[in-house]
This record gives sequence, structure tokens and C-alpha cells, in this order.
Amino acid sequence: MTTPTAQMVRIMIDGMTVNVPKGTLVIEAARRVGVMIPHFCYHPKLKPDANCRMCLVEIEKVPKLQTACSTPVDEGMNVRTATTVVNDAHKSVLEFILANHPLDCPVCDQGGKCDLQDFSHQYTATSRFTETKRVFQKEYFSPLIETQMNRCVQCLRCVRYCDEVMDVKALAPVGRGTMTEIKHFGFHPLDCEFCGGCVQICPVGAITSRLSMYEYRPWMLKRAETICGYCGDGCQMTVQTKGQELIEVNSAHGAGRNNGDLCARGFFGFHAASHPQRLTHPLIRRHGALVQVTWEEALEYVADRVNEIKAAHGGPSFGGLISGRCTNEELYLFQKFLRMAIGTNHIDSSARYGHVNGLQAMQLVQGTHRWTVTFEDILDADVLILVGTNITETNPITGLKVKEAVKKRQATLITIESLEPVVDTMSNIANLSHHHFRIPTSDTHHAIVGLVKAVLEQNLTQPDLAQRHPTYVNAMTSALQQISWQDLQAATGIEPDAFVRAAKVAAGARRVVIMAGQLLLRSEQGYSGCLTLLDLLLLTGKLDAPGCGFAPLAEENNDQGAIEMGTVTELLPGAQPITNDTERERIAKQWKGELPTDKGASLIEMLERARVGSLKAMFIVGENPVGSLPAVIHAEASLRNLDLLVCQELFLTETAALAHVVLPAASSLEKHGTFTNTEGHVQAVRPAIEPVGDSRPDWEIFSALSILLNSPMEYAESKEILKEIRSLIPGYSSLGPTPLPPKVDHSAVDRYLTDGYQRDLASRYHPISRASRPDGTVRLELAQSLFHSGKLSTRSKGLLQVEGSGRLRISPSDAARFALSDGDRVRLSSTSGEMTTEVKIMERVPQGTAWFPSHFGQAAVQLFECAIDPITHVPSFRTATVSMMKVA
Amino acid sequence: MASTASTKRLSLSAWLKTITFYEILVGMKATLSHLLNYRPVTLQYPHEKRTLPDNYRGMLALLRYDDGTEKCVGCDLCEAACPSRVIRVVSAEVPGEPTKRYSKEYYMDMTRCLFCGMCVDACPVDALGMTREFEWAVYDKRQLHLNKQQLLAIGDRSFPVQEKRLELQHPNVAFFNVAFKHVPPKPD
Ligand code: SF4
Ligand code: SF4
Ligand code: SF4
Ligand code: SF4
Ligand code: SF4
Ligand code: FES
Repeated sequence: MTTPTAQMVRIMIDGMTVNVPKGTLVIEAARRVGVMIPHFCYHPKLKPDANCRMCLVEIEKVPKLQTACSTPVDEGMNVRTATTVVNDAHKSVLEFILANHPLDCPVCDQGGKCDLQDFSHQYTATSRFTETKRVFQKEYFSPLIETQMNRCVQCLRCVRYCDEVMDVKALAPVGRGTMTEIKHFGFHPLDCEFCGGCVQICPVGAITSRLSMYEYRPWMLKRAETICGYCGDGCQMTVQTKGQELIEVNSAHGAGRNNGDLCARGFFGFHAASHPQRLTHPLIRRHGALVQVTWEEALEYVADRVNEIKAAHGGPSFGGLISGRCTNEELYLFQKFLRMAIGTNHIDSSARYGHVNGLQAMQLVQGTHRWTVTFEDILDADVLILVGTNITETNPITGLKVKEAVKKRQATLITIESLEPVVDTMSNIANLSHHHFRIPTSDTHHAIVGLVKAVLEQNLTQPDLAQRHPTYVNAMTSALQQISWQDLQAATGIEPDAFVRAAKVAAGARRVVIMAGQLLLRSEQGYSGCLTLLDLLLLTGKLDAPGCGFAPLAEENNDQGAIEMGTVTELLPGAQPITNDTERERIAKQWKGELPTDKGASLIEMLERARVGSLKAMFIVGENPVGSLPAVIHAEASLRNLDLLVCQELFLTETAALAHVVLPAASSLEKHGTFTNTEGHVQAVRPAIEPVGDSRPDWEIFSALSILLNSPMEYAESKEILKEIRSLIPGYSSLGPTPLPPKVDHSAVDRYLTDGYQRDLASRYHPISRASRPDGTVRLELAQSLFHSGKLSTRSKGLLQVEGSGRLRISPSDAARFALSDGDRVRLSSTSGEMTTEVKIMERVPQGTAWFPSHFGQAAVQLFECAIDPITHVPSFRTATVSMMKVA
Repeated sequence: MASTASTKRLSLSAWLKTITFYEILVGMKATLSHLLNYRPVTLQYPHEKRTLPDNYRGMLALLRYDDGTEKCVGCDLCEAACPSRVIRVVSAEVPGEPTKRYSKEYYMDMTRCLFCGMCVDACPVDALGMTREFEWAVYDKRQLHLNKQQLLAIGDRSFPVQEKRLELQHPNVAFFNVAFKHVPPKPD
């Protein structure tokens, strides 16, 4: 990044004067004045390689032509890009390329958007070479990515992208001279992150996507700029369609928060919306079976039943659960619908599965409900601390920011992850880490405590903190004295020295960003772990320093929006606590009604109430508690007990199959709205296709129901809801696509330092009692897989080709211990249940640990106990000790 | 005026001309003479057919190589070239021949075609031809919506001499839409 102090220089390009910072490349300076210098190997994301020689330009006083992509500007430079000499040079470079180029444009998927085609037209280049062209042996490449190496111009953009940006290093040039071709390693088909980056960056048709192969020509496609619906990174993507058909997804360089990079889910996962099993008609249960009905029938039926139940049992006998994959508008309208039209506070969303932990910790300590940092701060950070993120697989694009910060900007990386640093087919953040703490997820908290302890003992605390808040510092010190280094070492397997070294690095740095991932947020210590991380920032004086902050990463694309729209029981829109009376009054006035006064129940409490019969009806939108909660919760029995269960879904999930009424909802590719990404950017979602079948956007369904229930919430389009949200939530109006992050609220910090910390100090810092793991067992973790997000992606044909079923990932040493090889079947059993599955050996899995992808976890969830956080009510059920046995 | 005088008293000759419709007979002279001496002037279609010029642009057709394989590679270029959106190509990979491209479906809506020949020009493999067929009057317009099989059939009957198929169509173009036979098929 150019620092603001960069010296500006003045240069001439084709007679035009331009002022650019010193060190800018000539090709970039030219772009600023609208001169496009032809190029193949240059790409703004990559380090200059200057291998294709297409960008030659004339620079005054330099005897030979220079490559514009690698020459930095200097004061007074006079560049000419269109002289005869330059044109001749370009022409001859093209001639050399065309000497071997097959010119199969008619059958090439790049045709119509190909740089080589464009330049050939521009220079009317034909090749004088008549020798026979090279032909490469074609080999099967991969299920999603296809190569045609005869078309390769050997610019190495793909290789460099995969290495520099992705850190995957899956591709390499093989051979010499014109016979150089791009290959992957090993004798098996390409096995990588399938980010599609190489497909996007190849200037010609040498690497193409197999999913859209031969389905389109660029000019046939209609484009919609929208936001990916899978994870909280909120990548902007361009969905390209031909009529109702989804053809391709890509993302332009520089677009959105992702800067044009996507992960496998975004790039190859778009087919979920057009899956043949989509629900297309409303269904009502009649005589035990779901039958197809019209919208009118279904909605009237729901309204009648709601009225009956409400008359008999009152509003609080209703509950609602919505997915954090809905738009802000829908989340907002859902809670408004439940609070106003139904009159219940029993509202929850999938943010409850973990994001609430991070949020409540932030609200308690720093008084914000958003990050105080942005992706730019991650890029600029001096020290990055990653805790339980498994960032490559969970938040791949945030992961790219971390990789860029570490690889290109020399940030120091501290990781507390359950990851073995090894080189395998995917990038591994532990490989880049300077201080890696390899710790099982269930012990993550101990490692954080270790860092805090090191900070306190090494006197790395902010000097004036002890003066301003002596009680806090003393309480912390004494609490941590009870935890001995021996215990910590026994629990984590890490030398005290390592903690001290990392703590010193963190305390000594200017800009520190701590990221907490799903493994921490969704664990039993999710809330306390976040608090402890915030303690770490507080003690080192980094909580309110510029460029420093705490960043819990959201798993679902709109978890953050669910919180801000008040779609969890303890919050009102604007993430204000439901107990805040002035806010309640203000919102009630705007809504022209009364807010329900009952204390709301969270997801697990709702299910419990349904089981005992005090909750009579539920609206479940896009969530599948039967499929995702462990058996000990008895979600199915609870839901069966309801008098009315209304599901709005894309597919007939396990939960929807129990419903009395199933209403078909439109996917995020079919509607307008906004998503708030993990860093708090509210971004526009636009439809790429028409709603499939008779499905409707969720907000329209709430709106229609509210009218039938006589408390109309009518909106002509989703924009009107957004308008209402903006008028209701102070400050929301200014939050466009590039908002400033909120500042730490100092009064909240003071409250925390005075007495807020006391509430759970004892439970967070307590001596470690160590239970040893019996022989023949492994620590089973439900983990996120890169190729899936939630359950929707398991309906996407592209992603299923990479990962089609759940396989237990085990470490090579455990494989040896249990005499297992890839594809063998094992039986896992715990006190709660058992399951049989295939294993996959993955070197990054630490010994004694086994991961099961949560997207295929229906069978696996039975194995887990469920712990409920007493403060945030987050159910955690992602780790268990299970015994493993090979079966035939 | 003289005319007023003549209307008053018609001369005998004028009277005779009037009652014998003389002027009409004069006007009909050519017609009547042809009536007696019948000789057709126009081409007697459908009994007679004109010799079509060499560059006659008639019904479109899809062509084959001499070994019976379809020439079309499904490149969509005819679709792009057609000014009246006659053509729709659905291209795909040839089953069992990885990376080889063909048109899985090919439609022409001949009700709209203006026989400009742009599609024929655009085709990189000469898979389209304009036949000399023109007798395509139908009672139901939908019959003019032709699919690939129909278009191939027209080609087959109109172009009995077919181009020789070469795996490598030009020695300098190392390959063009040649399948990689030894590539294992992609998993489904
Ligand atoms: S890479 Fe470009 S020039 Fe080469 S065949 Fe494909 S479209 Fe044509
Ligand atoms: S495959 Fe594409 S990006 Fe890679 S070297 Fe060849 S032309 Fe460049
Ligand atoms: S798709 Fe695979 S090979 Fe291509 S850039 Fe991404 S990780 Fe590398
Ligand atoms: S899943 Fe997340 S990282 Fe991947 S493209 Fe979508 S938003 Fe981006
Ligand atoms: S002849 Fe002209 S109008 Fe007819 S299909 Fe071809 S391009 Fe279209
Ligand atoms: S773009 Fe400059 S050498 Fe390739």
C-alpha cells in the first residue's frame, strides 16, 4: 500500500502528464490516464514477473524498450506506448505467441472475453510461422477446473496467484521453453482449494471452469452484482445467467470487500438455488401427509390457526427461529412480525449458535456490536492473533487478508489453532504463523489464559491501567496466580516461554487485531474465551488504539445482520438490549403498538418449552434444528409436540418434513435485500433469476401473513423495509457499503473495568483440572469444511463433486495407531450415541483429534453432549471424546 | 361550344361506335388477340421451375463430413451473427469425448429468417449451408421451427457430396475440436 507520505512524481505518458506516487509501475500510471498497455502476465494482485514481454514501451533516454509492468516510474519519465517501434514489438510478441496458439476460438470458452483475441484484433497480428504447432498430451485435470494447455501463453498468472494470493501452491510450470505447461503436483487429479482464482485470472482460455463449460458465450449472459450467501466474509460476486439458468459466478478485480477473490463455495457453489428438489408450492399437512395447495389457502390456514392458538394461549405461546442467511430486511420484518403481529419475544436466529458469544463479549467490554476494525486494519496490522479460526476453511477471504498481511506486509502472526503446520493440498494458516500454538479446540481457552498470564507476569500491561483501575489489574493478577505454568503446560503442551515470547510480540506491536473463529465462538468457552481475548487487548492497552481490535468471524453470511436487526430474543433492532426501556418506548412508538413484555426464550429454551407444552406454535425460517442440534436436545420430539409449525424453506429439510405448513421461500439469488458481513458492511443483494416456481421472498410471506392477522406490515418492495430500518436504528443510515467502524465506547470500558469483569472472572480463570483421554479414543470435533457452508451447499452439484459426503478426517499417526487407511470405515461411539463413517487421512489434523464436517453431520451430532452457556444461552455441541474402532 | 352542338345531334358514326362499344373493343384488342392466340408469358410454376442461379440462398441446412459426423462444433457464432435471432444453439461436451464440443441442440426458427447468409459466413467449420430448396410453404407456422435432425436431413438431401473429414484440419492448426481420446471421463 502506498503510504500517505509517498513522494509524488510527475511523468508523461503519450504526451499526457500524470502525478503518481513514486514506485508506481508504468502500466498502472498509464491506466490512470486511460492508456491501456497490452499485457498478459501483469496483474495488479501479483508481483511483477515480466515474462510475457507484451507490455513493452518506449521510455525516453532508455536505449531499449522496457516492460511497463515491472518498471517503476521516476520523476520526469517520458513514456510512449504507441510508437511504430512499440507497435512492431507488440506485434512480434503476438506473432511468437500465435506461432503455437491453436486458434480454436470457436470452441474455446474464453472466446469473446479473451485478451489474446482482443490484442490480435487490435494489431491484426497473424503469425508468419508455419511450423507445426505444439500439442500437449491432454490429461484429466479435475472435476471442476479444466485445462487446455495448447492455449496457454505461459504468463504464469495462475501459478503466481495460487502461490502469492492463495498460498496453496497447487500449480507449477513444467517443461521448458515453448513446451512449458501448467500442471498440478502428483499423479492424481488436481486437489486444491478450488477457489477458481486460476480460472478467473488466466488471460486466455487455458484454464476454464468445467461447471459452465460450453454453456455460454459472454455476450449471452445477464449479470447481477450480488453478495455471496455462504459465509460471513460477504464477498461481492457477479452471477451470470442465461434466462432462468445459472451459468457462472465470478468477481471482478477490485470488486467488493473480497477484491475479486472468491472461495470454492462462492465460485462453484451457486447451483444450490437451481437444485431440482427446490420447493415450488406451499404445502399443508392433511391427514398426516403434506399436500400441495395454493398460497391463498396456505396463508389463510396459517392465519386461522394463529388466531385460534393466540386466542386460547396468548402471544407468548408462539416462538420464531430464523436463519442468519436471510436478508436484513427479512430478519427485521420477522422480529417485527413476531413482536407486533403475534406478540411474543421468543425469537431466535442462527446467530445463537455462536455469533452471540462474540457479540455479547464485545458489548460488555467495549460497548459495540460491530468490529472496531475493518479488513483494511487486518491488512495493515503488525500483529495478528488468530484463535480457533481454521480460517482457510471457515472464512477463506478473511484468510486471504491475513495471508496478504503476513506474506506481503510482514505482519507477525500468532495462531492458537487445532492445526498441524504441514504442507498439503490446501493452504494452512499455521504454516505462515510465527508463533503457532497447536491446541485442541476444547483447550483453546487455556492458551488464551496463558497469553494473559504472560502479559501480566512480564509486566506488559499498559502502564497507566494499573493506576486507573487497580482493582481490575489486581483481581486479574491474583486470579491468574492460581493458575500455574505447570498446569497450563500440562493442559496445552506448550512451554511457558512460548507464551511469553508471543505475549511480548503482541504487547510490543502498534497495531494488533485479534480474530476469533467458529471453533472458539461455538465452543463451550465461546463467551468466556472472547472476554479473555478482550482482557488481553485491554491489559496491553490495545483495545482502543487505532488499528487494533477484536474481530469475531461470522460463519453465516448474515449472522451480524441478525444481531443488528434484533432477531435474537435479548436484543431489539439496533442491537439494544430488550431491557432498555427508553429504546423499547421509542421503538414501540415508531411501530405504533406495544412491545411484548414477556422475557423471551432462546432457541434451546423454546424447544424445551415446546416439549413440555407451554409453547404451542413456531415459525421456522430457513433453519433446521432437527438436523443440526444434537440428539440430547430432542428437537424432533419438541417440534412434533407443537400445535402449529410453519416452515419457510427452500428444501424439504428434516424440520420442514415435520411442519404443518411449508411455505416455499426464494433463495438469495432471487431477491433484493441487504446482507451485513462479519465486519459490519451492509451490502446490496440483487436477484439474478426469478423466484423458482411459486416461491416468494421471506419478507413477502411475513408481510402477507401480517395483513391476514390484522396488523398490516405492508411494503411495496424490500427497499421500503430498509428505509424503515434506517429510520429506526440511529446511525444505520450512514452505513453504506463502506462505513467507518464504530469506536470503542469508553464509558462501557470503564464500566467493565470497574465491576463488569467480576461477573465471571472466577469461571474464566480457574485452576485447570485435567481429565485424561482414555486410550482408543479421539477428540471428535464438528468442523467447517472449505467446500461447504451450512446445509444449502450440500445441494450444489459443483461442491458435491469436490466433497460429496462427510468423511472423518484423522491424522496420519492416528491412522497408523488404528491401522486405518483412506476410505476405511470406523465406528465412533460416545456415551450419547454412535455412528459409522469413512475416514480420510489429513496431515493437518493433530494427533488425537478427528474432524467431521458439520454439513454432513446429521449422524454425527448424536455423539455430542450439549452445553448451554449460562449467560449467552449458546448451545455448544461441537467437541466430544469418542472411541474409535475400525469396522469392515 | 362544339360539344354542346354534338350532344344535341349525334352523328351516325358516333352513334354506331357507341352502340357497338367500339372504344372498349379497341382497348381489348391486345387481350382479345391473345385470347385467340394463347402463348404463356410467365413461368408456369409449379409445372415449370426456374433454373436457380449458383448463389441462390435457399433453405438453411446443417452439414456432415463424409464419414457422417456432424460438422457443427456448437460455437454459437451463427447465433451471434444472425440479425433476426433465428438460431439457438445449445452446446455441450460430446459425451464420452472430453473437451470436444458440439451442439447438443440446434434450432432454427425459419419464420424469421431473411436468408441473408450471415450465419453461413460466420460458421468457422462450414457446417451451415444454404440449399436450393425454397418450397417451404406450410399450413402451420410451427413446422418452420426446425431442430437439428431436420436441418441435418435437409443438408443430407441437398449436399450429397460431403467434405472429407480430417482429424487435423490444417497442418498448422495442430488440432481443432479433436477429442482427447485417452482422457478418462469426468466423474458425474
Ligand atoms: S485462448 Fe483466446 S485466442 Fe486462444 S483459442 Fe481461446 S479465445 Fe481464441
Ligand atoms: S494457464 Fe493461463 S494463467 Fe496460467 S500460464 Fe497459461 S495462460 Fe497464463
Ligand atoms: S483453484 Fe486451486 S489451483 Fe486454482 S488458484 Fe485456486 S487453489 Fe490454486
Ligand atoms: S463463502 Fe465466504 S469467502 Fe467464500 S465466496 Fe462466499 S462470502 Fe466469500
Ligand atoms: S440467413 Fe440470416 S437471418 Fe437466416 S438464419 Fe442465417 S443469419 Fe439468420
Ligand atoms: S505484462 Fe509486462 S511482461 Fe508481461
